[in-house]
Amino acid sequence: MSASLADLGYDDQEEQTVAAPLCGAEILLESLAREGVEVIFGLPGGANLPIYQHLPNSPIRHVLVRHEQGAAHMADGYARTSGRVGVCLATSGPGALNLITGLATAHFDSVPVVAITGQVATATIGTDAFQESDVIGSTLSVTKHSYQVHDARDLPAVVREAFHVARTGRPGAVLIDIPKDVQQQMVDGSESKIARLRPHRAPAFPDSRLLAEAAGHLARAQRPMILAGRGVAISGAEAALVQLAEACDAPVGTTLLGTGVFPTTHPLSLGLVGFMGTGYCNKAVSNCDCLVMVGMRADDRVTCRMDLFAPEAEHIIHVNIDPAELGKTVAADCQIAGDAREVMEALLEQTPPTARPEWRAAVSGWRRRHPLRHPHNGLLQPQEVLAACYRHRRADDVVVADVGLNQMWAATSWTGDSPGLFLNSGGAGTMGFALPAALGAQAARPEQRVFAICGEGGFVMTFQELATAIEAELPVKVVILNNGQLGMVRQFQDDFYGGVRSQVDHTVIPDFELLARAFGCFGRVARTLAEVEDALQEAVNYPGPALVDCRIDPEANIYPIVPFGKGLADFVECP
Amino acid sequence: MTAASRDTAFRSDSSDSRDVTRALRDPFIRLVRVRVEDRSGVLQRVTNCLGRRGLRLLSCSVGQNADPGTLSLWLQVEHGSQPADQVAKQLAKLIDVVSVEDLTGSHPLEWVTALVEIPAEADDPATAELLESCNAEVVRRDERSLLAALSGTPEVVEAALERLRQLPLVDWILSRPIGLGSGDPLSADQSSNTPREWR
Repeated sequence: MSASLADLGYDDQEEQTVAAPLCGAEILLESLAREGVEVIFGLPGGANLPIYQHLPNSPIRHVLVRHEQGAAHMADGYARTSGRVGVCLATSGPGALNLITGLATAHFDSVPVVAITGQVATATIGTDAFQESDVIGSTLSVTKHSYQVHDARDLPAVVREAFHVARTGRPGAVLIDIPKDVQQQMVDGSESKIARLRPHRAPAFPDSRLLAEAAGHLARAQRPMILAGRGVAISGAEAALVQLAEACDAPVGTTLLGTGVFPTTHPLSLGLVGFMGTGYCNKAVSNCDCLVMVGMRADDRVTCRMDLFAPEAEHIIHVNIDPAELGKTVAADCQIAGDAREVMEALLEQTPPTARPEWRAAVSGWRRRHPLRHPHNGLLQPQEVLAACYRHRRADDVVVADVGLNQMWAATSWTGDSPGLFLNSGGAGTMGFALPAALGAQAARPEQRVFAICGEGGFVMTFQELATAIEAELPVKVVILNNGQLGMVRQFQDDFYGGVRSQVDHTVIPDFELLARAFGCFGRVARTLAEVEDALQEAVNYPGPALVDCRIDPEANIYPIVPFGKGLADFVECP
Repeated sequence: MTAASRDTAFRSDSSDSRDVTRALRDPFIRLVRVRVEDRSGVLQRVTNCLGRRGLRLLSCSVGQNADPGTLSLWLQVEHGSQPADQVAKQLAKLIDVVSVEDLTGSHPLEWVTALVEIPAEADDPATAELLESCNAEVVRRDERSLLAALSGTPEVVEAALERLRQLPLVDWILSRPIGLGSGDPLSADQSSNTPREWR
């Protein structure tokens, strides 16, 4: 089946430019440029060298990474920050397989990333050729779709469709695998073979009766509550969320990925929900009589014990653009498949402003009785470091958290009022995410500061990308919350596994200050809050990449926390 | 269905998946017709999609249909602890999937084919009588054995096959069902705005 270039979104002038004889690699690069690709994060190798041969002639910037996992995370960070599709490039075999963790991270969090992999020549596929791998089969579970291109004439259409699939509906990762001979195949533009562009399968706009039903539930509720996820940011529904919350007088909690979609300074903001959420947010979820979940999946980290999730709720309204998420974990009685902004704006039209002073008073009471607390034992506390870091953050600066205690401390301490500035690996929980993702975010927003918040355990998984930071002039500021151990695992062992500390202590830790300098970055160690303040000031003033190694209380934990097997209301607070 | 009742309904293992009629009576099994684009790797995507979600593919028949460029898949899928509608919803997300119909409970016509190989020494009038009573047709006969074919609904063919097993069969094979009939289409272009039972 075929379609015209116009069907694919190319105008006549662009169609003419395809006419000159080009090789597959050139067609690929032209197609990427047509999609507005500004930067590719990649690493050359045997099976993608034709692409690299022609890359210098392309207007697209290339950031040379030190490991392909870094390329995928950078494309991810770029996409989360820019709202555009991030692109990474790897060679065949191990190069392609090294992308998988990064693709899974992006796909899990609905981030549009297109990965391009070189493949061995068509004739050698399936022969266990050198650096051959079944990258299509290996990535089926971590991509929205994938393509192996067997004819260079298909490349314009494949690229077009891949970007379309990646960014529409529920965004995700897409892979294009291109054998080396296809990259070298000469094609006369006039014989371009164009497949049809498969349409985005947008959910139909929700039935008006369903919206009226949801609005009715909200209007009749005495204790409404809203939980918001990253889908709110993807659809640009932040303003509608604020308006709906204010109209209903409904407090708003956010998922880890939803951090920042509702202003933290708003009086209705309850912060993070779930396993390590704020006590007052979990109390509100456990006592509300009508719960709206919008742009979120409701995974086990949100719900904890399922049969104790929102036990007082007479109605649960679940809004998600992916119909498969509705009813998957929480059996909401009002399931609305649709775009978060469209649905909330429609609900807003049907929701009369209603003050609920008794409900607000109850929530305020929980806020007073269950504040976020941390110990004051004379040791440097991570919350103090983060508060200092956030003070050095300008309103539109980006923070990328890694995974573990650092992530939860960073999320629960978050003070931003603008959406899209707090990034983390929420679904996959990929340690080592922060530094490369921060580099991608920095590439997307060169005028802003980008902070990477890491533990020392996650940092050492991808720290080689400091070389990329220097080489590509991406001046990220790395803040290591160094407790000398795998802190979250240690806390779980202490609290839930009989107190047996097993394989959590890092007895060998690099001197991160020296390490930073070895790469050509600014580096500083801080052991007190005063040293942290000074080091952060120096780091943000330094024009290039900088690292501050903060030696925090090794016994610092995350609180509140909901013990395994318990409900949200059973959270344990800081002793 | 509440989460708690889903938990109690969890079944970690299934009974004999060789029983092709089980889908007609097992509440954990969905009967699904999927129309997919006829592209390389599409079956791998379908099976991976189900396996990734813990949905057990019991039966898959692949065939052409009236729409050129597409294939019809006739699937029996055990959903185990997952909500039943996840089978159709997850399949509908695949880019190569054109439409999904969950036909469970809608009584479409299902059809299977069986072949049996009977040794030549058992080729006698009694065998011929048994084959005739089972509506089995002899389709090939040589010095070694005779091959008979029978087709029909799964219940009829399974019952006939059970009777034919009285013979000293060399081998036999029973196809997985194909089918036709109306169901509740979950087109990949549509959302699923359907209220569910709550608590």
